[in-house]
Amino acid sequence: MHKVWAVIRREFLERVRTKWFIISTVLGPIFMIGITVLPAVLAARGGAPRSVAVVDESGGMLGQRLLTQLGTGNKFNATLVRVDTGGAAAALDSLSRQVQQKLLDGFLVVTSATVESGIAEYRGRNVSSLRDMALIEGVLRQVVVIERLTRSGIDPAVVQEAQTRIDLRTLRITRRGATGETGEATFALAYIIGIVIYMAIFLYSVNVMRSVIDEKQTRIVEVLVSSLRPFQLMLGKVIGVGGVGLLQFSIWGAAAALLFRYRQTVFGMLGVPPEQASQVQLPPIGGALVLLVIGYFLLGYVLYSALFAVVGASVNTEAEASQAQLPVTMLLVAAIIVFPVVLQEPSGQLAVAMGLIPFFSPIIMPIRYAVSEVPTEEVLLSLAVLAVSTLAIVWVAGRIYRVGILMYGKRPTVRELLRWVREG
Amino acid sequence: MPPFSSTTSDCVIALERITKRFAGHVAVSDLSLSVPRGVVFGLLGPNGAGKTTTIRMTMNIIIPDEGVVRLFGDDLGGRHHSARIGYLPEERGLYKKMRVRDMLVFLAEAKGVARATATKKADQWLDRLDLGDWRLRKVEELSKGMQQKVQFIGTMLHEPELLILDEPFSGLDPINAQTLKDVLVELSRAGTTTVFSTHQMDVAEKICDHVCIIARGRKVLDGGLAEVKHVHGGTHVAVAFEDGGDLATAVLGDRRLVAKADDYGPYAELALADGADPQDLLVRLVESGARLRRFERVEPSLHRIFLDKVGAEAAQPAEVTRA
Repeated sequence: MHKVWAVIRREFLERVRTKWFIISTVLGPIFMIGITVLPAVLAARGGAPRSVAVVDESGGMLGQRLLTQLGTGNKFNATLVRVDTGGAAAALDSLSRQVQQKLLDGFLVVTSATVESGIAEYRGRNVSSLRDMALIEGVLRQVVVIERLTRSGIDPAVVQEAQTRIDLRTLRITRRGATGETGEATFALAYIIGIVIYMAIFLYSVNVMRSVIDEKQTRIVEVLVSSLRPFQLMLGKVIGVGGVGLLQFSIWGAAAALLFRYRQTVFGMLGVPPEQASQVQLPPIGGALVLLVIGYFLLGYVLYSALFAVVGASVNTEAEASQAQLPVTMLLVAAIIVFPVVLQEPSGQLAVAMGLIPFFSPIIMPIRYAVSEVPTEEVLLSLAVLAVSTLAIVWVAGRIYRVGILMYGKRPTVRELLRWVREG
Repeated sequence: MPPFSSTTSDCVIALERITKRFAGHVAVSDLSLSVPRGVVFGLLGPNGAGKTTTIRMTMNIIIPDEGVVRLFGDDLGGRHHSARIGYLPEERGLYKKMRVRDMLVFLAEAKGVARATATKKADQWLDRLDLGDWRLRKVEELSKGMQQKVQFIGTMLHEPELLILDEPFSGLDPINAQTLKDVLVELSRAGTTTVFSTHQMDVAEKICDHVCIIARGRKVLDGGLAEVKHVHGGTHVAVAFEDGGDLATAVLGDRRLVAKADDYGPYAELALADGADPQDLLVRLVESGARLRRFERVEPSLHRIFLDKVGAEAAQPAEVTRA
């Protein structure tokens, strides 16, 4: 055990001391601030009102109504241009020039046919801004509807009331009752959990592979296996690198928690108005979820790092490894591919099946658990399958590893790998 | 195992009829040898003779197809005794990114040495081999020769009873080679058993008590250095000329007097023909008019024995005569 400890210690310390570790550890929280604060900052900045003109060829109230609606909410600085059918072309030309000279962002053209057909035209520099177009379209729809209803003789006051905005608030209900989590926040949380586990498993098990190749390439492995059993070496490596992963994620987790707690202050420093800041919400993260995430990460990491260790032991160089690792990488990527389906239907057949398959469960189960109610028996079964498979894979990997690390030259075929497992 | 039972107990290594085949060829064939405690044992042979394979089987890194390897009297394998053995593989290797001292401490810890002890020892050895200023540098910043020295230290740091060194002198400059020889002689005096492989006969001749020559996977010769030389027999004379060496060509070419002549440049080693008298040779050389600087009856050199036993064809002279 003393020897394994020496390997763990070496793998851990040598990694924690690298620039790569320090930089990525520091960059993590900066990235987190980035993805949470940036949209809010942009929203606050991007709120500069657009100057648009409404060109009304209808001769009715349509243009005036649009002007009023566009003016509410400080999104648009609208002006009204009334033209009769004859002067339309000249007016449009002059407005186009104003757009070119950047005096105007764009203009909306409505005609007497607009109310019946629902067709209007917008020309401007900002047509690729989905947000702007959605807003203009929304306003237009509203105004057209009001106009149509009014023509049918319905009291404008009733119309106005009928137009009141609808806002569907989604709240998650679990066995423990309403949670106060919103649907969107739950979705975001599950998404983040899935991506983080995927990234962590991938990054750190590839690290294990690199370490195996490095020992092979520098030939130090021959000295090592004269002192340690290959399995001790592999074990120490997997634990050491995994420790680095846990350390890094603890740091990131703590940073995220602090960031969330002091989000008002942080947002304030970055010039985001408080009402924007309070929109950033996280569902309460339960202890069970944290335990589950850690448990699945650890088991998944051990499973995949054993597979990657086999890849490392069966190649001579990193260049060869990038090809040989493909089958293993594909397994991980498969989990990411079904990810959206699982989020949509966390209790569907596919989600339940994937949650039981050990190569996918480390990513799929925590997602399912975060967005839906997963029966405890199912979680336990999935964990048990994963744990047993991990043990079996580590055993097989160990047998391939101890032959592979001393083999140089031609890459072994699958048949040879199987022979190594049998003969050990 | 009757042929070995009497010697096994005082032998640190006993190889009993080991054979190893690789796809298509036999690397080591039916090889038996025993290394007595406390000796410096030279495993000699041309390239591809099976030296490294033999050493790897001794270390239990590869398993012989046939035969038994005994270390310290049992067959539990090199790893079981790893704390008592220092092993330097033919292919050297260190973690390039690690600091020199951390590297050494790690190697010692892998042998079961406590951290504090290992650190102290590493510092002592680094100072002794003039690497003290480099202890906090990364391995990759060191020159190749320095890395070799670091690796030697890693082999010896845990004070093993048995050192197994595969081609320890290859790639060393004369100064570092001398340092290594000094260390090996000193450790040997302190009781360490040393086994090393080489194809450099001059080095082997200087420090070995015991040699074993193998060629094409088979043992050719085995025994104490003095004994081997004695058994090899014949009368050998070393001659060197002040000037006029060309005048002696006819005498040296006389097959009734001289059976073989190896010209080493500064001097030549002559194997006299059966029944020839060195005294007659001396008279003839003086008469030839060449001026002698040296005329000495000597034991055959290991180099000569090696060439005789292995055969010039297998010996690859370019390798053998490299000093």
